[in-house]
Amino acid sequence: MTASCWTICLFLLGSVTEFIVLASPEVNESQQQHPQNVYHDIGVTRNKIVTAQFECYQKIMKDNSQDRRGPVCNRTWDGWLCWDDTEAGITSEQHCPDYFQDFDPTEMVTKICTESGQWFLHPESNRTWTNFTRCNLHTTEGRRTAMNLFYLALIGHGLSLTSLFISLGIFFHFKSLSCQRITLHKNLFFSFVLNSIITIIWLTAVANNQELVQQNPISCKISQFIHLYIFGCNYFWMLCEGIYLHTLIVVAVFAEKQHLMWYYLLGWGFPLIPATIHAVARSYYYNDNCWISSNTSLLYIIHGPICAAMLVNLFFLLNIVRVLITKLKVTHQAKSSLYMKAVRATLILVPLLGIQYVLLPYKPSGRVSAEIYDYIMHILMHYQGLLVATIFCFFNGEVQAVLRRHWNQYRIQFGSTITQSDALRSASYTASSITEVQGCYSIDGHTEHLNGKNYHDFDNAIIKPENPFA
Amino acid sequence: MQLILQSIFCCCLLAAVAPGVDSAKHDLKRSVWLQRSKRDLSLPALRALENRQFVRPDDVKDNLRPHSSTDISIRAKRSKNSINQSRRSGCSLGTCTVHVLAHRLHDLNNKLKIGNAPVDKINPYGYGRRRRSVPEKVLRLRKDGSGMRMVWSSSNSQSWLHKLEALLRRT
Repeated sequence: MTASCWTICLFLLGSVTEFIVLASPEVNESQQQHPQNVYHDIGVTRNKIVTAQFECYQKIMKDNSQDRRGPVCNRTWDGWLCWDDTEAGITSEQHCPDYFQDFDPTEMVTKICTESGQWFLHPESNRTWTNFTRCNLHTTEGRRTAMNLFYLALIGHGLSLTSLFISLGIFFHFKSLSCQRITLHKNLFFSFVLNSIITIIWLTAVANNQELVQQNPISCKISQFIHLYIFGCNYFWMLCEGIYLHTLIVVAVFAEKQHLMWYYLLGWGFPLIPATIHAVARSYYYNDNCWISSNTSLLYIIHGPICAAMLVNLFFLLNIVRVLITKLKVTHQAKSSLYMKAVRATLILVPLLGIQYVLLPYKPSGRVSAEIYDYIMHILMHYQGLLVATIFCFFNGEVQAVLRRHWNQYRIQFGSTITQSDALRSASYTASSITEVQGCYSIDGHTEHLNGKNYHDFDNAIIKPENPFA
Repeated sequence: MQLILQSIFCCCLLAAVAPGVDSAKHDLKRSVWLQRSKRDLSLPALRALENRQFVRPDDVKDNLRPHSSTDISIRAKRSKNSINQSRRSGCSLGTCTVHVLAHRLHDLNNKLKIGNAPVDKINPYGYGRRRRSVPEKVLRLRKDGSGMRMVWSSSNSQSWLHKLEALLRRT
């Protein structure tokens, strides 16, 4: 684990250093050419329009299909967009072009082909007309929403980074917390840290840096590759947590230690496969600047396996809760307490296993509902690291016990006589009871009992841990 | 334990390969810079044209090779007598929100583009025309008491045509 972490750190640092060096020099080639047309400058907009026009004329001349049945509106270039042959009576529509800052590419342009096989003439001007009016209708709101989500992401990842660094510090500092479950937590937290770092870099230094995207250096494609790889690692470590918990609780007959090598292979090794496949496919089929576009189905190469992993985790969660309810029923507890424990276990495990991504799988198509979905999904995604660190480190009973013990030793060592308040004690007890955990040493207890073949003690050992999740 | 892992590996491999096969489309990239010689026949434009090669080495490349693509995809969707809010070909899963946000930030905050689309090309006299011609009507500002009012008026007079030509030369 340490070797792979250091390797990833060195690789990431090297790439970030190269990235920063390449991003530093500013190109001051601001040629002030005299404007010769209505657009008043020669730049991105004009290049986009002229390129689209040229491609349109190539397409018009190339496609020479003569199989016309019935009236058809001829293919045409309307000045901004290219329109194919369209059957009479059909309204053709495309997405708005991204020529201007106030054009929203998610809106639609419509061009009506009348029943007589002629493109729609506007009654006010009696000229062929394409409806571009929706392109800049909601752009200001869209831009405001995008900036809100951008700041939400930065704040969320900042808070997650802070809490995750503290958690990793606690996990690495106190050796008594070293066991298989905490090792898996460390790897998951480390993948969260890397994901937050690369996401912040990607959103600030690439997505919001138009000059860099325009220059299209190889380093920003490398950063996108790293971003997608770390993204996959984060979710597959959630799958590792799910596999571990499911094996520990449901397949409880295997009391032996599980081999961590398979977890490292799945968590850090397997995500390289879809990331590499995506990089190769992107180079061949959709090689846009910095690979920043999300208008391609190639992204399913990355997100398909992730969703499959989340579905497996959903199955694990349902099975874990089922086994928990079954075992608690054996102890003849009250139903209300039983279901309360089940609900609490579910709420605790949802952020650890990433179940929220399969509960909200697809983005709705309406504008308002899509915006609400965006806010909810961004909160769940960017604050997940903070949530996981809070639940599984700060509210962990073992961590609190170790911290309390070290605090007591510290006070004894320095002769301090600070008295504990009752409020602090009750708050600590409440937090500890939320994440009642199976101790790291109880696995040895399991082994000891199994070696002794004392079935009565075996049953007691299984029933004792009420909530072995954290 | 190993059997579970191997099954998951196989499922993930299948899930990884299937979308790749579906999304392997051939987008052609043609990045040719054309200049409107019809409008830029003035002397400064010709002098600038001599500095810049009219046919660049990139233009001679084979534009039909499916090795790269730009974001400008020439395609149209048809819907019978209705306007459907069709979504762009891309990722709609929940885990794609970061990529969609990055792309959206790049689109909407791109300061390299012209800020506002020309209003006169979106209004009823805007785009869709077949050839350039002197418009039948022009938009004029006419004084109306204390304020100004925009009026569509005829453009038959030659003096107005001369004013229009002078205005076009200055813009």
